[in-house]
Amino acid sequence: MKRAIVAMLCVAPAAAAVGVPLVHFRMAFFSDAIGHSAFTGVAIGVLLGVHPLLTMVAFGLFVAWAITLVKGRTELSPDTVIGVFFSTVIALGIAVISAQKGLTRNLQAYLYGDLLAVSETELLWMAALLFGVAAYLFLAFNRIMLIGVHEGFAKSMGVPVRALEISFALVVALVVTTAIRAVGILLVTALLVVPAASARNIARGAVSAFWGAVAIAVASGLSGIAASYYLDTATGATVVLFAAAFFAVTAMLKGILRG
Amino acid sequence: MTAPGHHHTLEIRNLSVRAGGTEILSGINADIRCGEVTALVGPNGAGKTTLLLAILGLVPYTGEIRFCRAAEHGEGAPRIGYVPQRLDFDRNTPMTVLDFFALSSQRYPVIFGHSARSRRSARESLTRVDADHLVSRPLGKLSGGELQRILLALALRDNPDILLLDEPVSGVDLSGEALFCDFLGKIHSETRFSLLLVSHDLSVVGRHADRVICLNRRIICQGATTEMLTPENLEAMYGSGAHLVSHGPANGRGHLHAPPRPDQEEEKGG
Repeated sequence: MKRAIVAMLCVAPAAAAVGVPLVHFRMAFFSDAIGHSAFTGVAIGVLLGVHPLLTMVAFGLFVAWAITLVKGRTELSPDTVIGVFFSTVIALGIAVISAQKGLTRNLQAYLYGDLLAVSETELLWMAALLFGVAAYLFLAFNRIMLIGVHEGFAKSMGVPVRALEISFALVVALVVTTAIRAVGILLVTALLVVPAASARNIARGAVSAFWGAVAIAVASGLSGIAASYYLDTATGATVVLFAAAFFAVTAMLKGILRG
Repeated sequence: MTAPGHHHTLEIRNLSVRAGGTEILSGINADIRCGEVTALVGPNGAGKTTLLLAILGLVPYTGEIRFCRAAEHGEGAPRIGYVPQRLDFDRNTPMTVLDFFALSSQRYPVIFGHSARSRRSARESLTRVDADHLVSRPLGKLSGGELQRILLALALRDNPDILLLDEPVSGVDLSGEALFCDFLGKIHSETRFSLLLVSHDLSVVGRHADRVICLNRRIICQGATTEMLTPENLEAMYGSGAHLVSHGPANGRGHLHAPPRPDQEEEKGG
């Protein structure tokens, strides 16, 4: 239980912090595609006899890099490109899993998340991720937000647009694949998007939008763990439901504040 | 003041841009002269914005784009200012005008607040375009004209050698246009940067530009404004029946810096 709380305190703020520029970029679908690439990543790991977590992260990074590359070289809209990758990685994952009898049981923990089974090594990895994300955002946050307003304008301001786009996609992939341990493949995007979306409902500037998202993520994480313990519900789902409640409340507040 | 023709801020040699198997721009040769206003005109899909993106290094191209820095602007790489046609960002983005300025003027993330220096610099830049009252407004809630003024203020903040303006008056009402051109004229006469202006509105071009580049996937013609905007050239670019219509004061306010051109009136009588 203690370990689950520490894990959540690492993963939730990291996911929410990355979620703020992610929502600004309108990349929610991208993070969903990375999340679902975990199917294939885990399957490859089991197939090769490597720890699934390693292959899941590696494959997630590969897919993020591939999508970013293809997106920059085609005239198709980004969501079309992501849509193609999205279905390909799921199909590949299901094909590999279905060929390996007995793999489905292994997959449960990744589909729904299994926070209570987080190992010491995974915990260290999650802590490292939180520090890594904080360091990355400290260096790159301003320039990433500038790209989100207008690529060409950012470029004219001396921002290395392509390098930052790729590095941000890779950081998102790291966060998504790590957060899968907490809330599962099906709900991982929610951990990134919902706190940032909730904070946007009531924030006026960048300061409140960012810290609001982090606070909402931590609050949902902790209340979700507590509630799931007493109600005996799946932790990941309960956490996301709390985040969704925050969204509903802030959306109503927005209506009252502007109405 | 630099004598026209002696310095080029930008030299474009044999530039071609291909995308998806079609040539968007081919064999472009053009010079942007120091301190002058050059207008880039042409029909929709002529590749005007693509040319700006190539200059910014955002689309792959073949050929050469050389930046030259006038000695009086000091050492180092030339600065490019850019005001895009429109911003395609989410209008609900929680970002104030001050946040937006601070994104490029302070090292630490704006989520830790704004440095005194970026506050001061934002105020100064905004005052320059008469928009200091907008400093704490959310970026997404500004009108088209206000947003363009903010972008112009930011593009001019670091004293660019060349300013690229994409359709500076599109989506802005006529009085907003006059206002925008007035600011630009005032600032241009103070700092003498080179200006490359994309415009559909030939009356704006006639009033503000020293030189014109007529583009339709290749260069149709280029030269002094008064010589270029002839019925023949317009027809080559836009098809038959094209002519100039003036819808605004043709003299006085709005001139960037060029002396009055007596022959301009005749050309505008469309």
